[in-house]
Amino acid sequence: MLNPYFVHLGILICIYIILALSLNVTLGYTGLLNLGHVAFFGIGAYTSTLLVKAGVPFIAAFIIAGLFASVFGYLLVLATRKLKGDYLALATLGFSFVVTSVLLNWSSLTRGPLGISGIPKPEIFGLLIKSNNAYFLFAIVIAVITYLIIWRITKSPFGRLLEATRDDELATRSMGKNTFALKYKAMMISAFFAGLAGSLFAHYITFIDPSSFALTELILIFTIVIVGGIASLGGSVAGTIIIILIPELLRFFALPSSILGPMRQIIYALLLIFILLYRPKGLFGRVDVG
Amino acid sequence: MVFTQLLANSLIAGSIYALVAVGFSLIYATTKIMHFAHGAAVVIGAYIVYTLFTLWGLNFWVAAVLTVILSALLGYFMFRLLYVPLKKKKASNVILLIASIGLLILFENIVLLVYGADVKTIGFIQVAQGLPIAGAVVTKLQIVIFIVSLILCGALYWLMQKTRLGRNMRAVVDNEELASITGINPRKIQTAAFMIGTALAGVAGVLVGLEQNLEPSLGIALIIKGFTGAIIGGITSVPAAVAGSFILGIAENFGIWYLPSGYKDAIAFVLLFIFLLWRPTGLFGLNKGVKDA
Repeated sequence: MLNPYFVHLGILICIYIILALSLNVTLGYTGLLNLGHVAFFGIGAYTSTLLVKAGVPFIAAFIIAGLFASVFGYLLVLATRKLKGDYLALATLGFSFVVTSVLLNWSSLTRGPLGISGIPKPEIFGLLIKSNNAYFLFAIVIAVITYLIIWRITKSPFGRLLEATRDDELATRSMGKNTFALKYKAMMISAFFAGLAGSLFAHYITFIDPSSFALTELILIFTIVIVGGIASLGGSVAGTIIIILIPELLRFFALPSSILGPMRQIIYALLLIFILLYRPKGLFGRVDVG
Repeated sequence: MVFTQLLANSLIAGSIYALVAVGFSLIYATTKIMHFAHGAAVVIGAYIVYTLFTLWGLNFWVAAVLTVILSALLGYFMFRLLYVPLKKKKASNVILLIASIGLLILFENIVLLVYGADVKTIGFIQVAQGLPIAGAVVTKLQIVIFIVSLILCGALYWLMQKTRLGRNMRAVVDNEELASITGINPRKIQTAAFMIGTALAGVAGVLVGLEQNLEPSLGIALIIKGFTGAIIGGITSVPAAVAGSFILGIAENFGIWYLPSGYKDAIAFVLLFIFLLWRPTGLFGLNKGVKDA
């Protein structure tokens, strides 16, 4: 059978591919400076967990997690529609902070900083996904479906309008296109898949707490998308594999985990800074960030 | 009595936030960089004083002065090695913002790697009995924090208003290109702003290190507070950022009169979000490049 360590990495890669592809819809294709992505990831994870714990079948909870995150995506665009540039980025970052602090403080629902443990493995139409190998397969299926849907969207006339909004919003508006509608639709699609990724993450790790959806996680997802390349789906997939695997090389040095954790973050931060400095298009990107 | 105690707590919290906020807002106003790594600069300042005083046994005042000087140097290198190359490549504000968050994470983890995750105490001042003042109990250190913060904010205001450097800074704040036409070198002014701002972060680091336990993750919490204070007041103006920081301190400490104390941080986040959405220029700021026309 497959080596359990590689299966674990494979599942993580699938989850982060979904996150990176969906962030690329807003950040890359629409040019929306969305620092709220990690909040959608968290909302999806908590929604799915709480629903399944309340007896809702997994597949329903999985979809609702995406839809619920999507609703927040709409609200976020609605609230921030007047802001531009770094103020938009800051407001979406503020949204991430608000969601984290609600998760931390609404203890009766989320158990606050203690987190929720013992999240059941998914059961789909009576089929229990118990082993990691089966979960890997499930995650691959979801990641491939995500890729195909997002690829189809970005190649459609709608996708071209998103790119037009990114490149010149005023011109797009003067062609009679409703750029606000384009933006919120892009954000809803993006948030939907981030919510699904959250559900996948929660039921795989079987434990979630607010720190899983904090600033460091956001930097990881951003690093993936920026290293892979803005507005490049293939780049997002390659970026995920590269970024998830690089820190794993550290394991060969048999470092204690108190060093391994910070080292991993240092590598991510350095990679992000170097890419911004020397290749802002990313490895496979077509346009610059921002 | 509860009222005066809460007021005292508000002013102490506000003093720390103000020291973080003025540096942040000075840097933002002159360079247009949302310098989130400023929070890490505070933490690095605190760990420098911990190293010099607690580990190496230097005289405390020497250690504190060295910390402020080293912080100014840190500001110089952050600006010259990261932001200037990015600005030369015409990086957008958003790239600068993302880079600064990357830098924040980088510094936090370097501190974590060097010093470990366990909390550190500087131990210069023994835990002292508080002094009763008008029904509130405050320690001597807290009074010192309040006074130092007011003096430094006042000194920065004086520098901005009354000196040649300050006048040039205000010119760059107002319009970088026009300033350079009149013979001001904006790069030099911005470097000075970074060094002064980060030196203030170093002072904040020393005070925070004396007042509470040190943890590497303190930086994110501090920059969010300082930044929220700056946004509430108005980010492009130093006095406004100070006022905003004290308002934040008051809102947090009086807020938990009604709410469970766990919501203290949430108050800051919610205020931040509300201000960004409805009044991104802050209470006393100017509308410049914030909203679409």
